[in-house]
Amino acid sequence: MNWEALFGPSVLEASLRIATPLLLAALGGAFTHHAGIFNIALEGMMLFGAFFAIVASYYTSNWVIAIAVTILVGMIIGLLYGVFTIHLKADFIVTGIAINVLGLGLTTYLLRALFHVKAGLQDARIAPFPDINFPFLNSLGSINEIFNDQSLFTYVSWILVVVLWLIFYRTPFGLHLRAAGEHPDALETAGVSLTKTRYIAAVCCGVLCALAGAHLSLGYLNQYVINVTSGRGFISMAAVLFGGGNPVIIILVSLLFGFAESMSIRFQGIGVPGYFALMIPYVVTILALVVWSIQKQQKLQQAESAPESLT
Amino acid sequence: MVESLFPKGTARFWTALLSILLAFAIGAVMIIVNGDNPILAYSTMIQSSLGSVNNLAATLAVATPLIFTGLSVAVAFRTGLDNIGSEGQLYMGAMAGALVGIYLKGLPTTVHITISILAGAIVGGLWGWIFGWLNVKLKVNLVVTTIMANYLGILFTSYLANYPFKPPRAPIGSTTFVQDSARLYRFFDSSTLNAGFLIALAMLVVYALFFNYTKFGFEWKTIGLNRFFARYIGMNIHRQMLWAMFASGGFAGIAGAVEVLGVQGRFVQNMSPGYGYDGILVALLAGNSAPGILAVSILFGALRIGGIGVEQVTNVPSELSSVLRAIIILLVAAQAVIFAFLKTRRKKHHELGSTVRS
Repeated sequence: MNWEALFGPSVLEASLRIATPLLLAALGGAFTHHAGIFNIALEGMMLFGAFFAIVASYYTSNWVIAIAVTILVGMIIGLLYGVFTIHLKADFIVTGIAINVLGLGLTTYLLRALFHVKAGLQDARIAPFPDINFPFLNSLGSINEIFNDQSLFTYVSWILVVVLWLIFYRTPFGLHLRAAGEHPDALETAGVSLTKTRYIAAVCCGVLCALAGAHLSLGYLNQYVINVTSGRGFISMAAVLFGGGNPVIIILVSLLFGFAESMSIRFQGIGVPGYFALMIPYVVTILALVVWSIQKQQKLQQAESAPESLT
Repeated sequence: MVESLFPKGTARFWTALLSILLAFAIGAVMIIVNGDNPILAYSTMIQSSLGSVNNLAATLAVATPLIFTGLSVAVAFRTGLDNIGSEGQLYMGAMAGALVGIYLKGLPTTVHITISILAGAIVGGLWGWIFGWLNVKLKVNLVVTTIMANYLGILFTSYLANYPFKPPRAPIGSTTFVQDSARLYRFFDSSTLNAGFLIALAMLVVYALFFNYTKFGFEWKTIGLNRFFARYIGMNIHRQMLWAMFASGGFAGIAGAVEVLGVQGRFVQNMSPGYGYDGILVALLAGNSAPGILAVSILFGALRIGGIGVEQVTNVPSELSSVLRAIIILLVAAQAVIFAFLKTRRKKHHELGSTVRS
């Protein structure tokens, strides 16, 4: 067995690449998570971004315009999601599933209506996101191989981790955002609009998810494939829940999930089933939820038994 | 609890009907934008899904798995359990049904089919029960675990279809074909409509009778309406909820097994185009009622088959049908809220009025 091929720097390089869309969407999910919105629509929001980024890049051959269009589409989807869940107070699960069905249905519909293709769109006119080269890393061997020449949004996502951590935990807005989830009544009492805070969260979530999708199609595949996200939105949701909305934990979990997926590809390459590596995100999330629930139950029990022990 | 948000009875019917009409109106705009004639498109849709015996058979063939997954979700929702895991439960049941159909030999047809479907129901049921248990005993969020369980079920069955049970030289991830004795009877040569549809109808009757006339059905409904009240009056709510999760997963498992025995003839990876998720939409739109589930399943089946027909005649892609499905459910969700709002306002009005009078 070729261990170099299995665990060499190229695996880590691929892990970072694969982790990027997971991370971006999960950072979006962190916004809604903090705001107390149980968001299962990350998948659909990513698909919208992935599709419209390709469309914009196809018609303009300009990736900057593609980013602008993606952000706009993300805002619209975030607003739509907000109108239903916040304004109309529709159920999170129903709205989430509807957005996911709509995302897959509408993008496929438009792909086939606009381009008359069956499974995907690949064209020379599509301008991909650039890879960024840092000259000072060039002499560093494996480090260079892993960290240099990644796609634009891989670096953007790392910067966002820091920025969002600061926003969530070190700014008044972050406090309002977290209060919207944990103590919505307190937020209203303090004179801050709960509705407005949640809308901002939904829109930010839409934008980051759309960018995650755009990275998939323009930074990673350089083409559009029907259902390009294929469940990545739910892996991101897992990362959000695992990290409790904390960007630092979210990036670590996303990297772990990215590593698992890149390992599964390697395994597949040497004839070992990669399916079990692909199961890791889901198993890890379920186990984490179980452990937390047990801890919570124990705390509750302690809290209940404490007064009795005093008497 | 998803269920409690939606209006009941006739209000539900009119909400659903209005949503469907509005969705078709929005669809008509999309068709016009696409440069096609919406009247032609919609008449083609009706013609190609319901216009002849063959077309109706194709529609009912697609409706069959939707009835089962709709029942799966409805059982869970009525008991107050947000089971989003029908898709994974369907795959687990499909694999179990396929394996029993392949490896049990020399049985009479009826026995073989019954055992295969039961295997699907039990394995699908267990795949629901596990997460029900985590929810009931440890308070682990059911929505999250069942979403994760969907992907686990799909990946696990894909693994089985690609490695241990893949026949040599088979191009895609699939098992060998089941024995002839495990094949469900097909009514026509030209359609995949099979005896599974009759099983689906029977299950609808069982479902309706169970919830309306049995003690357990009453208990499950009570738990769904208010589980604290149910516990207070002495029901063993945990045990009943676990049985409900088993039944919910079981119906999804049957959906998978019937697809294998009646349509595909073997387990094929990615064999479900989201029947499990559609089941959620079916149950919601149908208000969990048996006649509603039948009607909505046929509607969704007709949309899917009709969409394919439209694509052959016009330039409108067949995905129009999934767009319409999503818009219908969004409109229903929105209207449910509007209905609730109107109701509370009327109530407030009423209360105000009565206080003034007294």
